[in-house]
Amino acid sequence: MNAPIRDWAEVREIRRAADETWWVELDSPAIAGRARPGQFVMVGLGVEQVAAPFLPRPFSVGLAGPDRTVGLLLREFGAGTRRLARLRDGDRVLLLGPLGQAFSVSSDRPVVCIAGGVGLAPFLFLAAEQRKLGRQVRLLYGERTADRVFSSELIEELTGVAPIIYTEDGSAGHQGLVLAGIRPEEEPALLACGPTPMLQAVARLAIEHGLPLQVSVEEHMGCGIGTCQGCVVRSASGEWIKSCTEGPVFDARELSWPT
Amino acid sequence: MADLTQRLFGTQWQSPVLLASGTCGYGEEYAELIPLDEIGGIVTKAVSLEPRSGNPPHRVSETPGGMINAIGLQNVGLAAFIREKLPWLRDNLVRARVLINVVGHTEDEFEAVVAGLDGEDGFLGFEINVSCPNVKDGTLFGTDPAGLAGLVATLRRATARPLVVKLTPNVPDIGLYARICEENGADGLSTINTFPGMLIDVGKRRPVIGNVSGGVSGPAILPMGVYLTWRARQSSSLPILGIGGIRSSDDALQYILAGASLVQIGTALFVDPEVAVAVHRGVEAYCTESETPLRELVGGVQIPDRD
Repeated sequence: MNAPIRDWAEVREIRRAADETWWVELDSPAIAGRARPGQFVMVGLGVEQVAAPFLPRPFSVGLAGPDRTVGLLLREFGAGTRRLARLRDGDRVLLLGPLGQAFSVSSDRPVVCIAGGVGLAPFLFLAAEQRKLGRQVRLLYGERTADRVFSSELIEELTGVAPIIYTEDGSAGHQGLVLAGIRPEEEPALLACGPTPMLQAVARLAIEHGLPLQVSVEEHMGCGIGTCQGCVVRSASGEWIKSCTEGPVFDARELSWPT
Repeated sequence: MADLTQRLFGTQWQSPVLLASGTCGYGEEYAELIPLDEIGGIVTKAVSLEPRSGNPPHRVSETPGGMINAIGLQNVGLAAFIREKLPWLRDNLVRARVLINVVGHTEDEFEAVVAGLDGEDGFLGFEINVSCPNVKDGTLFGTDPAGLAGLVATLRRATARPLVVKLTPNVPDIGLYARICEENGADGLSTINTFPGMLIDVGKRRPVIGNVSGGVSGPAILPMGVYLTWRARQSSSLPILGIGGIRSSDDALQYILAGASLVQIGTALFVDPEVAVAVHRGVEAYCTESETPLRELVGGVQIPDRD
């Protein structure tokens, strides 16, 4: 068993990447050295304070690089994430990780990553890793509007990969849903992370065309390590299964998708 | 050197700090993060006669100063617990004590779980869960004096092992239930389980928790837990395991001074797994500085005369 690491990590850098969206780099060599794309870390502020976030929040590892930092994509959704967005260089956060199952990347099909919103995070890491191996990935990235789009210069700087951007209103990149960028005829291996309606749509498409699909799901979490059973999703056989230890990356065919 | 040892439930305790049911699984998940065998012990996730699938998500969410949960007692059931979970506890926890949290829909189910576990190795005793707010009949026994009396008496006949009853805070007088447990042969009390609560997403105008309501835990409930521990202590001489919102040794000492011999840490483990050892060390330091053995602090709060 690869035990998770508990680490008080210093914020090395926090950069604005879009409206209410930040790129955070944390100094945690131990976790950075072990993390794989698709895994996550719990990020908290310790037991001394009770203001939100009191419970740690799960974040996909957005990069765990040769410079030994853990990169996170942080969007302000509520009081807890707003507080984390006010972190400054030198502040410390309590990390637990790396946690959960990573993506497994096919080498015999073209790899297409489908990201919705902050679902972009694991694919920054994955695209950067694949590029280092000399493999191409297509990175499809959707947001509602241009002001939410994570800086494509920053994406290229972090990963070396240029994202193909979709916005619902066409204010940046292509107009429409990210789904439009999938080309089933190329028989790609699909990897997806984003809002549930997007995952459902990708799952329908993958099943219809017989394409392999792994999804990274998000559910409210308590412990992050499989004890509290808080973060369940429904399996294809109707069981509640834990997204923290059995996921967050699942083969889409292991999960139940509403029709 | 501080003396944290106590003799309770027929055995020696090296530390007053336990991990609370539902927050530490069956121990194994925290084995790499917490030196379990150096603390007082653990109380397992609830075990029911048959496996339970639990509630729909969201099952957990943050609340001001704590969390709300409605897991719904998802667990592997008695047979799988004995086969898959108990051996690890038996083989890995030597000095730490194990209480198995037991739940049932009916008195017969509680009895079947207790009787089914009684002859097994690897644990000290039972914590009887009559106080789960997140399943339909979860507090049935915990809020009905006659039902509780019958249940405790039945379980007393089913086992000679320590029998601790985990009480709900959701009654007008917890002292009544403490007395009932004592009169019917229980060995100890855990005070308290979570408070029933509800959280609404105003954007969606829907409850956040899939089960609609849940149990509230964490620092927000600390003063209620301390008070109810003190109240239970007034009504019963049974040893008490204090629980609710503990995240520091100061919190733990409040429970101990209110009347708890042992304490359980729950929600705070999710924030920092090291909190259990930190609480143990803090209590140790307090005992050292005050040159008082832990057992002499239990119930030691001094209530001023009020006239």
